[in-house]
This record gives sequence, structure tokens and C-alpha cells, in this order.
Amino acid sequence: MTFLHNILTVAHYEAKTLRRTWFFRLFAIGALFIFTMLNIGLFSPVGTESWEMVSIPSALPLINLYLLNIGQAVVVIFLASDFLKRDKKLDTVEVLYTRSVSNFEYVTGKTLGILRLFLSLNVVILIIGLIINIISKTMKVDILSYFEYLLFISIPTLIYSLGLAYILMLIIGNQAITFFLLLGYAALNMFYLWYRAGSLYDYMVFGMPLYKSGIIGFDNITAIINQRLGYFFAGVSMIMASVILFKRLPQSRLHTNLARTLLVLCIIGSGITFYNTLNNHLEREKLKRSVIEINRKYEKSKFPSTTSADIELAHKGKTIEAVSMLRIVNDNDTPLESYIFSLNPGLSVKKVISGNSDIQFKTDGHIIEISPAKRLEPGGYDSVTIFYSGKITEAFCYPNFSDDPKNNRYRIAMVNVNKRQAFLKNNYLLFTPESHWYPVSGLNYYPSNPARIKVDFTKFILKAKSDKNLKVVSQGIPGEEGEWTKYSCPFPLTGLTVAMGNYVADSITVDSVKFISWHYPGTDYYKKDFEELKDTLPNLISGFMKDLESGFGVAYPFSCLSMVEAPVQFYSYPKSNTQVRAEIQPSMVIIPEKLSTLQQAGFAKRFARQKKQMARNNQIITDKELKVRIFNNFIRNTFISGRNFRMVNGVLVNEPTRYLLGPSFYFFRNNFYSDEYPVINAVFESHLQKLNEPAPAGGPGMMAGNLSDNDRANLILKNTSFKELLARNPSSDTMRAVLTLKGDCLFNYLRYKAGINEFNEWFKNYIWDNSYKRVNILKFNNDLKERFGFEFYPYLEEWFNGREQPGFIFTEPDVTTIVVDQRTRFQVVFTASNTESAGGLFNVSFRTGGGFGGRGGGQAIMSVTFQGGRGGAAGGGRMMQIAMQGRGLTSSDISKIVYLSPHETKKIGVVLESQPRAMQINALFSKNIPGELVFTIQEVKKESAKQKPFEGEEIVQEIPSFTQPGEVVVDNEDPGFYRSATSKMNPLRKILSGNKEVAETYQSMNLFVAPEYWQPVVQNTFYGRFVRSAVYTRAGTGDRYVTWKGIIKEPGYYDVYAYIGKAGAQIIMRGAGRPGQAGAQPGRPPAGGPPGTPPPPGDQSGEPARQNPYKDFHFKVYHDDGMDEITIDYETADPGWNKLGTFYLSPDTVKVEMTNQSEGRIVIADAVKWVLKE
Amino acid sequence: MKIEIRDLNKIYPNGTHALKNINLVIESGMFGLLGPNGAGKSTLMRILVTLVKPTSGIVLLDGKDIQKHRKEVRKILGYLPQDFRFFTSLKTWEFLDYSAALAGMKNRKERLKEVDRMLDQVGLLEVRDRNANKLSGGMKRRLGIAQALIGNPKLFIVDEPTTGLDPDERIRFRNILSTLSQKQDVIIILSTHIVGDISSTCQNMALLNKGEVVFCGRPENLVNEAKGHVFKMNLTPYEYEKAKEEYDIISTIPVENGWEVQIVSDLPPDGNAVEIEPNIEHAYVYYMEHKIHADLNV
Repeated sequence: MTFLHNILTVAHYEAKTLRRTWFFRLFAIGALFIFTMLNIGLFSPVGTESWEMVSIPSALPLINLYLLNIGQAVVVIFLASDFLKRDKKLDTVEVLYTRSVSNFEYVTGKTLGILRLFLSLNVVILIIGLIINIISKTMKVDILSYFEYLLFISIPTLIYSLGLAYILMLIIGNQAITFFLLLGYAALNMFYLWYRAGSLYDYMVFGMPLYKSGIIGFDNITAIINQRLGYFFAGVSMIMASVILFKRLPQSRLHTNLARTLLVLCIIGSGITFYNTLNNHLEREKLKRSVIEINRKYEKSKFPSTTSADIELAHKGKTIEAVSMLRIVNDNDTPLESYIFSLNPGLSVKKVISGNSDIQFKTDGHIIEISPAKRLEPGGYDSVTIFYSGKITEAFCYPNFSDDPKNNRYRIAMVNVNKRQAFLKNNYLLFTPESHWYPVSGLNYYPSNPARIKVDFTKFILKAKSDKNLKVVSQGIPGEEGEWTKYSCPFPLTGLTVAMGNYVADSITVDSVKFISWHYPGTDYYKKDFEELKDTLPNLISGFMKDLESGFGVAYPFSCLSMVEAPVQFYSYPKSNTQVRAEIQPSMVIIPEKLSTLQQAGFAKRFARQKKQMARNNQIITDKELKVRIFNNFIRNTFISGRNFRMVNGVLVNEPTRYLLGPSFYFFRNNFYSDEYPVINAVFESHLQKLNEPAPAGGPGMMAGNLSDNDRANLILKNTSFKELLARNPSSDTMRAVLTLKGDCLFNYLRYKAGINEFNEWFKNYIWDNSYKRVNILKFNNDLKERFGFEFYPYLEEWFNGREQPGFIFTEPDVTTIVVDQRTRFQVVFTASNTESAGGLFNVSFRTGGGFGGRGGGQAIMSVTFQGGRGGAAGGGRMMQIAMQGRGLTSSDISKIVYLSPHETKKIGVVLESQPRAMQINALFSKNIPGELVFTIQEVKKESAKQKPFEGEEIVQEIPSFTQPGEVVVDNEDPGFYRSATSKMNPLRKILSGNKEVAETYQSMNLFVAPEYWQPVVQNTFYGRFVRSAVYTRAGTGDRYVTWKGIIKEPGYYDVYAYIGKAGAQIIMRGAGRPGQAGAQPGRPPAGGPPGTPPPPGDQSGEPARQNPYKDFHFKVYHDDGMDEITIDYETADPGWNKLGTFYLSPDTVKVEMTNQSEGRIVIADAVKWVLKE
Repeated sequence: MKIEIRDLNKIYPNGTHALKNINLVIESGMFGLLGPNGAGKSTLMRILVTLVKPTSGIVLLDGKDIQKHRKEVRKILGYLPQDFRFFTSLKTWEFLDYSAALAGMKNRKERLKEVDRMLDQVGLLEVRDRNANKLSGGMKRRLGIAQALIGNPKLFIVDEPTTGLDPDERIRFRNILSTLSQKQDVIIILSTHIVGDISSTCQNMALLNKGEVVFCGRPENLVNEAKGHVFKMNLTPYEYEKAKEEYDIISTIPVENGWEVQIVSDLPPDGNAVEIEPNIEHAYVYYMEHKIHADLNV
């Protein structure tokens, strides 16, 4: 009793003392204010109620405690070290030290006091959150999660921080040093260590996934408990060590021994739990390496193809038992001595039978090698039945991806969500083909060629049951067979997915396709939100499907489409060999529970907000119309054309959303394969599976100097062949960009050779005729030759192995009205040159009619105004609209494809029926960066007398001059351009700012935090022969500079010019939202765009003008009489060449410098030219 | 109760030999520890209150080694350190309550009653709800006494308690100690360099100098040692300047044509010197300046 009494007494007064310190009071008041505002702002009906925040109720306590924990982990360090400092300083404690209190009681009491204080604050903040939670009509209350997060987040962090602060304070004895050491440790954790070693170092759970699903709760509870217990034990052990090391003579041997015992036990406890955490991580990594190594052994093997599979699956809590009866065919050209299958390594094979007799097999990790009684000849069929049981090892699914939370971040709001590829729990099961839960005749990853893929079109019959009476969901037509649920697929599938849970279903049949929503009870909130659309829903769905089908040029191939709700943790990594994510399966989409990761799924809130906005703008629209619009937006942005923008190493990458239905129109139905070019299917897929969107792939980002995917791919392929690149196992982002570019190139070549319309029509029929078949590319080559008389297979050699890129220069299009057959036509003529030693293609298309509204309206279209140089591509056109064309199955928008041999120039003529507004050129695989150019046609000349229509190409001898006689131009890409050495940044600042110096690659332009070095950046407004780039840096005192050095041969007076590409200065981005979003009006550019899009200086929207980041640019012109300093005011400068002055120069190397001295935030250096005066 | 200190030595890590073979017996009642600054009084006190471990030697409380029985010692201990401050954020009563609770008073009701009683005893009841930083120096001292007294300690150790107190406060403090010393079987150890505190309150005392006990006994014995060595004389300014060099002058009172001074001397000085009765202050000076030196010379 005395023991407890003493501890509680010390705790009581410690808490009281700390509570009355200004430091804690300020923290507490600040925290209460901030978190009240935060809860109101994020979760309450008057706040944003962002759907990803409010859809899953546990997000509220999680986000509250997650943020609070980061703050309190720092504050507690100070208070803990302060208590020891006070003890050391004041004689007051001497009177306490002479009391009959053991060191154990004293230190424990102090700890409890601090804990009590902080936990009280936690509880108060949680209560505030709970009140908001209860008030909110959108959120449910998950009261248990409030306790769970307190237990998982706050307590271990506080205990550990306290223990660490005590022990350091006792050892170092200086509060300031202790505080800064611990602060450094906290920062190191937050910026560097948090994701490493399976979150082992993440003591404040800064990045550890703790998201709790509404369906399955915590999916990684063992990992969470291990890691958190580890820190709890470590904290307690350090507190116990502090008891032992405490600088006061002990009085109780019993208590000292108790401290020693607890110290030892907690060290053991933390050792075990940390070991478990680390071991779990290492085991996963080891298994991934092992899968890759095993795959390496077998990747050269010949595999059979599975034509049908009858699978019996019994769910037995945390294990499964299954039997797969597989019918296989040898579609190789050599006999098969053994059948090689891949099965998840967590499952163990019991036996394999063929007919009624057992046959021999051996396993090697996940590989099952079956030895049939006799070899299988090419074209021969066989059947095997495999019995297996066990668990699913998820690390197997994506062996080339690390599971740490930093890579391929999956977050809701600011918290990481665990990335799960399969679920096997008592109350839930979800297997996708990626987990190889049934034997697959092929590998999940080919280490020597990650772009390779083996696709079998298999007819599946699934019989499944659950001993927990869970509802079975899969593809095909459902039926009952005793205790089994049976799914028979009338069409072959590339893989089978099964889910078991407490699912309920809603369905609707539209145009013979059955749409089923498999969801958990209570998660179908959208039904209420869209109650009014009930009668129009079939029409809406029909509209979408028709849009999709016309976009892809083929019909939706399946008879149903299931939307299966899965726990929020379900996540698939992007693959190198296909753009299909596991969320999309044949006739099935696996959607996140309560659509929680989809921002646009907060329908009620969107409705209320948009209605309010419309009322403000005096726009009249009925509730139903508005709901239709919201529904349309959601469907389009989620399943048809949505994109996610994210930064990867300073470059904005726009990744398609994970639920796009595109694969249904190619990947799930067609397959082309090649032994020599295994990447071919991925290339076909990249080109064909995209809707022909006017929305730019990288367009919005380009305004921030970001590169489009095509440009990135061209830069990656600079001096590197496709083959060499693949051998380097590039990232999925790189793969996606390069595959698309290569696909565009290949298909533009085919269209160029065969004729655009002719090829499109033939190819559409060809892939339809070859549905659910694997087509060898050689067969395709022969079929093509038979139809069009040319072979494309030889072209693949250069396409795959070539390193050289062509480079194109274009003149502006000259448009004249002409009369053909008594009708007015529009003659467009321009010249294109390829100045490089590799031949290449580009395609041309035209925008005609009014406005720029794209498919679905509301593409984010940007306009950039600038004045070009004389003739050449440099400085290019005037009004530009960046877009991408020539993709997809139909590519109907391409007017012409042109091939230019090395050093060839052609005059190109096109006759159009309607007036062109803009000419778009896609330079495809070339040195041109940006490669997608749009020349806005502002002037149409009247017909000249007797002008004959010119349609086609004409080789001309004169190459358009890039520079004029007497001009010396030095661009930032030229050898005569020099950047001053990059300034040295403090290493700590570098880590904390994350400002990695990447001055050698093109980055997005950061107008808010410009780099402290000269960073290359690409924009259409900049000067460049092929690469329109400049360098920019943060304005300063003039300590950084660039130099242009040119060589002049004639003495005389020269006009010296500097090129001012008015980057983003004329950008206008207004209106409504995201690509594909409805609502933008023709002719009025809509707004929105990716995060990081710079503010539009000179914005005409009526909003208050933001400060222009560019102001004065300072040049130093060196000439025969010395040096002149010249300042150009950005605001008043002309876009393009600006004269710096006229100077006398002798034949020699001439020089112009520019420094970073400026009143603005940013300076840009592009090109300089010297023009000899006549 | 009895404290026996045997061959006690304390050497600090920096080599300072703070206590040298201290041998003392302290019995119930009030015991004074007198000595100049740096004599080792505080070190001895801190050993007695179990804050510091001796380098060698032993301290027995009723025959038990206090280093081995710290818990028992701390249970009966009331301690007021030399420089007593307390948490500024606690109120007067809260601090006393904290002390009382740690002194073993578990019943909150009784504890609060005792807190108020103690505050009343030291004259702080009116300021029970005042924060420490709002108390005067004397009040803080009294609060220190109260916290040491709470829980009825059997061993009461106070280190330099009257330093900085005004005469009223000092008298009040002495009275409190006197009252306490009337209790049976209580040891009060008062460490001070103010000799007046000892003479008015202590039955026994020890004189410490440079870590050694140079005298131990009753204060009157110390006074007796100085008998015949304290003189009073009148001096002209010239004689006064000369006498300052020859004698230890204890007090100087200006009179007509010069000074009336009291001096300590082994031999009666020449002139108009008159032998007077020594007090403890005279005895302390005589002992520190003459007896010890004489003993050392011998």
C-alpha cells in the first residue's frame, strides 16, 4: 500500500507541477485550439468533410492522435529532461529525497505524473473529436478505435520518449544537450528512419500504417503490437535503468531488485518484439529475393497454357484447402517434359493426380514441377489435378517491390495505409490472381525481363465454401451446389478472383450487361445520395459504356461487371509488364471500402457545395441535374479517365487511377507475344488501352515546367536503346512512359505504312477475331504482310535496339482558303526537317471548330502565349494548347503521319474541310522536348488566285535555318553555356528540407521554393533547338551566375539579345477542374490541375493578383570597351528576344553573364544571341 | 535515541577531505554543530540525512548503521537544508501536503488537518493558498521548518536555519526548536555558524574546523575554556590601531576620546584592561584563534 501511495503521491504532485508550467499550458492550450479547429475543419458538417477522412470512422481518432503524437513526442522530451534538471538544481528535492520514498517509487511516480498529464490531454482531444464524430451525419462512430489508437500511438511513444529523456539526462547531465539530441533523434526519425527496417525505428508511428478498416479492423495487428510493445518495453527498461542510475542513495533493496528485474524483463521483451518486427520485415524481403531467384531459375523454361480450371476452394478460418483441376495445352513449338506451375509459397501441395493416378511432382519454393507419364507434344492437351492447402504469403505477390511505406506511398489524408495484396482471415477472404492462389502456368515476375508477361485465357469454374458462412463473390454466373457456391465463367479470363465476406449485392442490367455492387451492409450510402437518379441510372450507365466502347472502338467483352468492396488496405503495385492493376480484374473491379480513397465519392457534400456555389453564381440547375453531373464526374474520373498526380524525384507524374476500365478492352481479351521481344504485349497494351484523350498526359504539369510522359521517355531513351533500358529494370513510372512512347511509335509506323484509316479498320477486326487467343507477333507480321504488303518485324530491330533519335524543326503552318470542287477548303502548308542522323516519324492533327472543350468537356487546357523566333521551331508558334493525340485503337484524330529520313526536309500539305484552329504535332520518339507541339492558327489567308490544292509531302532541299546569317546564338543546352558551381548546402538542412540537388535532370519548376542552384527546366516558352529549356534558381545577391560564351568571326557592332521565355506568365487556368471533368465551357479554359501548378501571374480571373515571382534580371555584357551591366524588367520585357544593347566586338570569344541578383523570387537564364549590325 | 558517529571520513572525488575521522555521540535533545564556513558541517549533515555516503566510518542510529537502514532513518527524519526553496507552482498547503504524504500520512483528511495545524504553528495559515514565489524569505524559511516537522520526525536536522532571518524570525525559530526539543526521545541537530543560535538553544555542541571536531561538549564548557582570556579596555585612536595588530578584537564601541573594545588574549594586555565574563561568542573566537593554534604549536 505504501508503495502505491508513494507512487501516486509523487505522480499527483508531479502532474500538478507540470500542469502549471507555462510550457505545458501553452502546448495544451495550443493543442486544444488547433485540434478543435482541425476537427471542425476536417470532420464536422461545417468543415470540408473530405471523403477520404470521413468515410471510415477510425480516421478521426487516428488523425487526431497521429498529429498530436508528433507534437507531444517533442514536448515530453523537454518536460522529462526538465524534471531531472529541476531535481538537480533545487534543494527542494533534498527534502523530498530525505523522505522515505524509494527511487523506484519516485521515478515511477514522476513518470506516471507526466503520463497522466499527457494522456489527459489526449483524452480531451479525443473527446472533442468524439463530439464532432457524434454530431457528424456523415461519419459513424467507432468508439473502440479511440481506445485502440490511444494504446497504439500515444502510450508507447510517451513511455519511450520519457525513458530516453531520463536516461540521456542522467548520462549527459545537461538539459539543453539532451533536448537537442532528442530533438535531432525525433527529426532523424521523421525524415530518414521512419520507414526503414519494417518501421522498426518509427517510435512515434510517423509512417507506420495504422489504418483500421471498417470491414476487417486492423489488418496488421501482430505487426502493430510487436512494434508498439517494443517501444513500450524499451521505454520501461530505460525508466528502470533510470531508477537504478538515479542520483540518490537507494533505500529499498527490494525496489532496486524490482527495477533490475523489470529492466531485464523489458529488455528481453523489447528485444523479442523488435526482433519480431525486424525479422518479419527481413523475412518478407528474403522471401521476395528468393522468389526472384527461383523465378530466375525457371524463366527460361517452357510453360504450358491453362485452358480451363475447375477450382474447389474451402475457407477454413485462417487457412484454405483447395483442389485445382487444370486442363493445359502445350502451345510451345517443342514438347514439354514437365509442367511448371507457380503457386503461392504459403500453400503446400499435397498431391497431384492425372486421371485417377498420382503423378510425381517436386516443389521449389513456389514452383511446382510436375512430371507427366509422357511428354506433352506441341499442341497436345493434358489434365492435372492439384491438391493443396495452407495460407497466402503476400510477399510473393510483388517480389520486385519493397513493402516499406515510403515506396509507392499509399495514404489516406496524411496517414499511411498498409498495403495488402490478399486477405485470409476468419471473417474475410480476398484473393486476386496476383497471389497465385491457384496454380498458374507461368511466373509472376521474370527477373531478366520484367516487361515480359504470360497471359493465359482460361475458362474457370469455381466452387467455394466458407466454414464461417461467408458470402462467396467471384467472376461468372453464380449458382448453388449443396454447401458450395459455384461460379461458372462463360468467357475465358486472364485470372480468377475470389472474395468471401458478409457481402450483400445490388444489381442492375443495362444493355445485356449485369452490373453488380457487392458491398458490406451499411456501406451503400450512395443509394441515398443518388435516390433521385434511380430511374435514369440505366441511361447513365448505358451512356458511359457506349462512350467507353466508342472510345476504344470495340464492345465491352463481358456479360457482367462486378464492383466488389474490399478493405481499404487492399493495394496493388504497378507492374512493369502491364498497366493493369490488381484492382481491375476481368469483369470485376475491386473498389475500396466505402469508396474511401476516392475523393469524389463524398456525394452529399459535393452536392451541397456545388449547389451553394451555383446559387452564388446565379446558375439555375435542378437537384437531379446536379446529381447527374456529380455521378458522371465520379464515374468518369474513377473508371474511365481519372488520373492521380504525384511527385517522383521532383518530377510530377500523372499515374492513371487504379480502377480504370481500359484493360477490359484489350488486356483481358487480347494477347500478343514474342520470344524475341517479350515486351511486345506491354507495348501494344500501352498504346491501345488508352482512350484518345485530348487531355495532355503531362500537360498541366508542363505549366510548372514539368515534363510530359513522352518527354520523360525521350530523355530516358537519349543514347539508350529500349533493350538496354529494359535490362536495367527501370521503375514502373519509367516503364509506363517508355512503353507508351514505344507503342505510339510502333503504331504510328504501322499506320504510316498501311494508311491510317485502312490500318485502324483492319486492326480493329483483327483483334476482335483473335479475342481470348495468344497471338505470336510473327503471325501478326505475316497477317499484316498479307493484307498490306509490308512486314513490320524487321522494323522492330531498330525500334528495339536503336539508340539514335531524330530531331525535328518545324515552320509555322501557313493556312489559306482554297476552292476545291466549288467548296471552300483550308490549305495548310508547313515545312518539317529532320536534322539528325536517325530517321523518325511525327504525326499531325488539327483542331477545328470552336473552343477547346474536349471529350467529356472540361479537359484542363492551358494556353501559353509567346512570340517566336524567325521561322524555326525555336520559340515555335504563338498560342499553344498542349495535347496528346494518336493513341488508342482508333486514333481517329490523326490527320497525317510523316516519316523523315536523316537530314531530310519536307514540305507538307494538308487540305481540311473546316477551318483549323490549331495544328498539333506529336514528335513521338525524337530529341524534341517538349515533343507535343500545338501551333495555334490565328490567321487564315484569303485564297490566292488559281491556287491548286497541295496534299501530301514534297522533299525540299533547303533546310529551314535555325539562325540567321550574322547571328551567334548560345542556348543553355549549348556547350558555350556555363553555370556557376552549385552552392553548398548544410547537410542537416539538406536532409530536413528534402531539397535534393538534381541539377543534371529536368525538374518541375517550383515557384515557391526555388532551388539554390541552377536547375534545368523545360517549358514551351523557352528557347531551344530541340530541347526548349532554361535554368532557374532562387534569387539572391548575385552569388550565382551563368555565362554564355560565343565565338564571333567578324569585328563590328553587334546587337546583343537575351531570350526571356515568359514562363507561366501568361498561363490562364480557370474554370472547372480535372481532366475529363464535365462542366467546362467551350472556349473557356477550365481550371484545376495538379498540385504544384504555379500561380498564374497576370491571371485574368478577377481573383486578387498574386505576386509575380519574376522581377528584374541582371546581365553583364562584355565588349571591347569593358563591361556594361544591363537590367531587364520581366514585367515589361517582350516575350522572346530582348535587346540588351549594341556593342562593338572584335573577333574572339564573346561573353554575357547573368546573376541571380533580383528583387523577385526566381531568375531564369535561357539563351543569348549576338547579331552583327549591317 | 542516540547517534554515534565513528571514524567518519568523507573525501570528495576532487580530493577535498571534507570530514576527517569524526567521532561524536549525539543523544536526545538539541545538538549544535558550530564551525566556520567550509568546516564540513553541511557534509556531516548530508551524511546524517542519507543524502551522501561517507568514504569511511560509520554512523549508528540506536545501534543501526544509517547507510544500511536508510528507509528507517528517512521515516523518522525531518530535514531543512541550508538553501531551501520549493516548487514555485505549488501552493503553501500543497507543498506541505506533498511532504506529509511522503512522510507516510495516507489519510487525506487527517493529512490536511495536520497541514493546517502545522501552518498555524509556523504562522503561515493565512497564506496557505499562496504560491511559494509570493512568500517572504522568512515565510519560506518557516515553511521549510513546517515541512521538516510534519509527520512528527524523531530526528530533526536543520542546516544553517537562521541565515538571512531578521531578529524576530530568528527568535521565533529558536522558540520552535526549543519547544520541539522538550519532546521525549527526539534529536535535533542544528548546524550553524551563528554562535548565538547555539548558546540559546543547544544542550550539547561540537565545534568543527577544517573537517575535524575540535570541541565537543556543553556550550558552558566551551565558555569556561575562555575564562581569564577576555578583556575590556578603552583605547585612543592611536592605541586602537596598534591593538588591532596585536589582539583579536571582538567588539568595538565608540566612546569619548576613543573606543571601548573587547579583546581575546592569552595574557592580560597592558594598560587599563579589565577581565570580563566570556560568552559563547568570546569562547568561539578564543577557541578558534588561540586554543587550536596553541594546541597545534604544542
